[in-house]
Amino acid sequence: MPVYVYAITDAEHPHRLDDLKAIGESAGPPTTVAGRSLKAVVSDAPADLRPKRREVLAHQAVLERLLEDGAVLPMRFGFVAPSHDEVAGALDENADTYAATLERLSGRVEYHLRCGRDQDDVLREILTESPEARRLNEATRQNPSAQGDRMALGELISQEIVRRNDADAREIVDALAPAAAEVAAGEARGEHFLAVSFLVDRARATEFARLVEAEKERRGAGYALTLHGPLPPYSFV
Amino acid sequence: MTVMQQQQARPSSGGGSSSLYDVLELILDKGLVIDAFVRVSLVGIEILKIDVRVVVASVDTYLRFAEACNRLDLESGRKAPTQLTDIVGDSVESGAKGKSKGALTGAVEAFSESLQRGRDGDEEEPAERKSRSSSSSTARRSPRRKEGE
Repeated sequence: MPVYVYAITDAEHPHRLDDLKAIGESAGPPTTVAGRSLKAVVSDAPADLRPKRREVLAHQAVLERLLEDGAVLPMRFGFVAPSHDEVAGALDENADTYAATLERLSGRVEYHLRCGRDQDDVLREILTESPEARRLNEATRQNPSAQGDRMALGELISQEIVRRNDADAREIVDALAPAAAEVAAGEARGEHFLAVSFLVDRARATEFARLVEAEKERRGAGYALTLHGPLPPYSFV
Repeated sequence: MTVMQQQQARPSSGGGSSSLYDVLELILDKGLVIDAFVRVSLVGIEILKIDVRVVVASVDTYLRFAEACNRLDLESGRKAPTQLTDIVGDSVESGAKGKSKGALTGAVEAFSESLQRGRDGDEEEPAERKSRSSSSSTARRSPRRKEGE
């Protein structure tokens, strides 16, 4: 029977999973498979497992519960082993590595930060600070058919936005990193110029959150800083 | 009419409410991988994750940036300190957010909306935003001098 794998923990983890629903239509709670020194949290893999919203949420709910009670190595969504034996074998094969990672993650959680900036806010800043941008802006307002100027303005703005976003991203990470044990860069896209994860000691979570708040204050309404967490340490395994 | 682009600003929440969309990437792309195991096909989700990174260096983007600059009212922006948003309330806020969605985010909207659908409670009313954001940009067509700072 194929087995869906959620996470690896040490053998002592309480695994309070009875009230949770496993992945799949009519599944009960997840269970565990024991290796020699570690355990994996698993459930029967439904034959037609699809990456639906409900399934991703089920995976995440199991991980969040496990995180409440101790260190956890979260699996990436969607991994299926052929059988319980294979799971136990995989646990034993890399037991030392997993144990070391669990040790490193012990007492720590992930926080994920995304930052975006209001477009008008950055445009205003650029027009205020760049005489050339102002000149081109006036020229294209006066003469909407000035295609050369229009392109030049757009290109200048593009470059300035990238430059400013990069600088902001560095500043923000530098401001928060002192409260974190590790930092892992994510991939910013869409409306965000920064996506980054921090591994934070639970004991320092309040301090970390305060730094984020301070950064929000400092940046003002033109920026949107969104903090997610505490999360299972997906980015640090 | 430039105003037509400004619609459906989705809430850029400053709070810590974990939207699945933001965390999705961690769950799907990070986390432990065990080579001996097989991964289920993520076809449905890969579509959601098609790289929506903004291509900053494209003619299309340049033109949209230029247009956004042209319609930007520098003066009102300067006069309004950041706190004003909170005090005046959502008419100012929705105007600003509506505009900000121009060149950078258009492509992302559809994806994030489909994921956010069904999320309880925190969706905004797009129609309301649309009508508000169009009201603010009519009276300032005339080019104005910027007082250099």
